[in-house]
Amino acid sequence: MSPSLTDTPALSRRGLLKFSLGATAFLATAGLGASLSGCSSSVAANGFVILRSGDLLFLRALIPVMLEGSVAAGKMPASVDETLHCLDNALNHLSPEMLKLTQQLFDVLGMTVTRGPLTGIWGSWENASSEEIRHFLDRWENSSLSLLRMGHSSLLQLVMMAWYSRAESWVHCGYPGPPAV
Amino acid sequence: MPVPDPFREGLSRGWKTYNGSQLTQDLTLEADVAIIGSGAGGGTTAEILSAAGYKVLLIEEGPLKTSSDFKMLEDQAYTSLYQEGIGRMSKDGAITILQGRAVGGTTLINWTSSFRTPTPTLEHWAKEHDVKGHSPAEMAPWFEKMEQRLGVAPWRVPPNANNDVIRKGCEKLGYSWHVIPRNVRGCWNLGYCGMGCPTNAKQSMLVTTIPATLEKGGELLYLARAQQLSIKDGKVTGLQCVAMDDRCVAPTGRTITVKARHYVLAGGGINSPALLLRSDAPDPHKRLGKRTFLHLVNMSAALFDEVVNPFYGAPQSIYSDHFQWQDGTTGKMSYKLEVPPLHPALATTLLGGFGTENAQHMEHLPHTHAMLALLRDGFHPESTGGSVELRGDNTPVLDYQVSPYAWEGLRRAFHSMAEIQFAGGASAVMPMHADARYVKTLAEARTLIDGLSLELYRTRLGSAHVMGGCAMGEDPKNAVTDSLGRHHQLSNLSIHDGSLFPTSIGANPQLSVYGLTAQLATSLAERLKNP
Repeated sequence: MSPSLTDTPALSRRGLLKFSLGATAFLATAGLGASLSGCSSSVAANGFVILRSGDLLFLRALIPVMLEGSVAAGKMPASVDETLHCLDNALNHLSPEMLKLTQQLFDVLGMTVTRGPLTGIWGSWENASSEEIRHFLDRWENSSLSLLRMGHSSLLQLVMMAWYSRAESWVHCGYPGPPAV
Repeated sequence: MPVPDPFREGLSRGWKTYNGSQLTQDLTLEADVAIIGSGAGGGTTAEILSAAGYKVLLIEEGPLKTSSDFKMLEDQAYTSLYQEGIGRMSKDGAITILQGRAVGGTTLINWTSSFRTPTPTLEHWAKEHDVKGHSPAEMAPWFEKMEQRLGVAPWRVPPNANNDVIRKGCEKLGYSWHVIPRNVRGCWNLGYCGMGCPTNAKQSMLVTTIPATLEKGGELLYLARAQQLSIKDGKVTGLQCVAMDDRCVAPTGRTITVKARHYVLAGGGINSPALLLRSDAPDPHKRLGKRTFLHLVNMSAALFDEVVNPFYGAPQSIYSDHFQWQDGTTGKMSYKLEVPPLHPALATTLLGGFGTENAQHMEHLPHTHAMLALLRDGFHPESTGGSVELRGDNTPVLDYQVSPYAWEGLRRAFHSMAEIQFAGGASAVMPMHADARYVKTLAEARTLIDGLSLELYRTRLGSAHVMGGCAMGEDPKNAVTDSLGRHHQLSNLSIHDGSLFPTSIGANPQLSVYGLTAQLATSLAERLKNP
């Protein structure tokens, strides 16, 4: 069984992760370790089937940054909600193995102990600036750890696909929607 | 007037089907032949065997969705009709793999391009992979038969603007281009082939071979995952299926036991080898799941002054094979050029990035064209394909490494696509890569492409054609089945799907699967006469 994250001394030293050869192996089990040690809740948030309250915290911070430029003024809160529900439905149809990987990614982002060292966002997600969030995404995209590059790619795909599945996004991209049959 | 839904009409006339998600108790089903998978290989085999008088049971993991269910909405289609809820990827998460998972398999969601297996491919199999009986002359009548059955003909309507870029660009450059044959009848030219055809124009298995099978008294079991074959003394003695919930995500706890004289595996690349791996099927030479090919795809976007509307119209109607055989069959990595349709959810991930960068790309969607290159993997010694493995929960995943040989081909493909796009009238071109941007001249594009760091995740890679993993060939040391699809070690098991291909095809593979499996199923029908 993976050790509890809080027992992992590597995490207390910020610089170590970046250079440690074991970092990838650590990351691969971090989410699972967190789940096993009870750090993350497995209960869906009210109104959602899969997304947990911890997931919503960082997704509500992340999504407005990802959708910037594609949402009309004043519509951002509603667009974030629509994206979250579409994302929730997509996750509810993923294979269990892919959902597990996605939730491990969410655990890594959601939990204080992993969030700081891995994202550079040391305070809470609600207080993170757009600049900090863009920096985190940039850092993952260019990370030396393939797991973070994969995480970056998954996050972008999940969120952007969810938003552009919604008819509310189609005005922005000039898509009139499906024809009548 | 609403479009008729012949499948639902058939059901109300009494076609025999079982919905795994609704089973309240375990079930045992018997048939002469149990066919696992209802896509191109399974559907074709089912029609031929049931017409020959055998009682056929078709088993499909995914749901039964028919034309009335197809609303041309990306999220509904992706979550219900694609493997793993469109979450299927290579093991490292770097290659998105699009495969169908519903009654009709990938034929339900493919873009209708229908090519005969190229002659150099068939010749290569005979020469290098000890495949017998599949020469171009021997295959021609089977392709012709299936072309007639499925209405395959070159698309007569003018191509949409997205496809027309290939024609215009190739014309200007003196490169060859051709019209794509499509398996449609009475097509409305809507552009939603990838989300299930709402008008039943696409001649998928859902509207052709499966109805024919059910008319003949064949049976269909869906939302049932073929979990394990029971094997004894070189024979399959039974098949255990697990019933899936209506999302096709979790087993319900009910099981279906299938007993048959003969079993045909037609789950396609990845799923067919996976069932054999789960069943501990004999694999004395460790060939199972190996040499799995993808027609790895990279893409290039281009902006046009005029409206392209890449989401409307037949998704694929023009192709170029100019680069496909230029360096011989086994030379440097080569590719077929086509276009993908661009609906918003797919387009946003292909165009990449987020925030204002992605928003600007999406704002130009109606003026955006995209081209794709299908890399012909598996012909060169350095192109060995991937391996299918089982994950912790016994479901499969494909480990596919992109070789330096393939990366070199991807870079050349970026160059070819940019060249044709500019020649076709593009005002700007952007290779689909994280570090790329739109550039306005071919010279700039060449510099940009030469400077791109081609690596996983930064390069947007996909596949819609999984082939191989249960290769056919006469030598059991190198192949899982013989040239008739008969398993080398299990006497009453045949494989009839794209997993048989010893290499990739070098063209969209559906007609290759139809022609090959029509030939194999006809031969099987003869053999079954003598028990």
